[in-house]
Amino acid sequence: MAVRILLVDDHPIVRQGLRTLLEGRPGWEVVGEASDGIEALEKVESLQPDVVVLDITMPRMNGLEACRLIQRKTKASSLEVLVVTQHDSPQMMREALEAGARGYVVKSNAARDLLEAVEAVSQHRVFTAMARGPQGSY
Amino acid sequence: MKLRILLADDHEIVRRGLCALLQKHEGWEVCGEASDGRQAIEMAKQLKPDVVIVDIGMPHLNGLDTTRQLLQYDPNFKVIVLTITDSDQIIREALDAGARGFVLKSDAARDLVSAVEALQSKRMFFTPRVNDLVLAGFLEKGHAISRNEPPNLPTLTAREREVTQLLAEGKSSKEVATVLNLSTKTVETHRSNIMRKLSLHSIRDLVVYAIKNNIIQIQMPPQVQRPTETTMA
Repeated sequence: MAVRILLVDDHPIVRQGLRTLLEGRPGWEVVGEASDGIEALEKVESLQPDVVVLDITMPRMNGLEACRLIQRKTKASSLEVLVVTQHDSPQMMREALEAGARGYVVKSNAARDLLEAVEAVSQHRVFTAMARGPQGSY
Repeated sequence: MKLRILLADDHEIVRRGLCALLQKHEGWEVCGEASDGRQAIEMAKQLKPDVVIVDIGMPHLNGLDTTRQLLQYDPNFKVIVLTITDSDQIIREALDAGARGFVLKSDAARDLVSAVEALQSKRMFFTPRVNDLVLAGFLEKGHAISRNEPPNLPTLTAREREVTQLLAEGKSSKEVATVLNLSTKTVETHRSNIMRKLSLHSIRDLVVYAIKNNIIQIQMPPQVQRPTETTMA
């Protein structure tokens, strides 16, 4: 299944790592990158990705705010947001899901969880995984 | 002959990004990847890389103590420190530890190749802020930043700093003993000495000390402003 992905993280080196991982999957395409929430909103509008892989702690506009605004802007579309963050915290995961994210992955485990998470959210399934807790896709 | 680079960062996704960046450069190879400082030291001893790139905020043994231990083992190791912040204190500690390169993680995609090239040419590489600080120290004192002025860690030995980090990460004395291959009793003795030397009275005080002195690093959550209509599920 073809999936068009937008990467949002303020560290280019992290975006490079995510890109390397995602582009190994046949049919998946990283269509663009953004380095903060405001740029993410612009790129969502211009690139119309299927999945936004979104960091939380970023300058100008953090990922939670961006996620809420993306959801408001794209109510009718099938776009899904997957949060990939350093925060290994159930409270932050809840905040992200309340903001409209469909998935939540902790950065320290991104290499393990990212592909499965993108696959799940691209099919509109919820995927959550804490670093030390059980993971779930439903 | 290729320049051999060892990478140490606890996030595999960051290591993948760094690998992709460095391996584009002809004549360089990433000879190993470590996910914490302790593993980095073991791998460096085995692989004898030309350059070691260490993240500061690693579990079990942070990047600054990793740098200190690497250079204590072999002063010829060339270490580049990767950091998320270039505060004066971090800069001073990195220089004091003997790092020859200092790169902000946010600028790694731009600066890391230049940093490795500098070390390859037997030069050092620092961010503009580090250069300013070194120059300011030189102008003020007539010499570069003094190695005799470490910030706030004058009284702890290398072993005590290791124990401090592991305790501050939440490990019990028994777990610390296992990691460091010591007896629990020895760890308890180190722990008492640390608390006495630093005039600390609880593990909470120790954690605060470790954070303030960059022995461990924490990520603060963003200040979130909830929209008023948000309801809890």
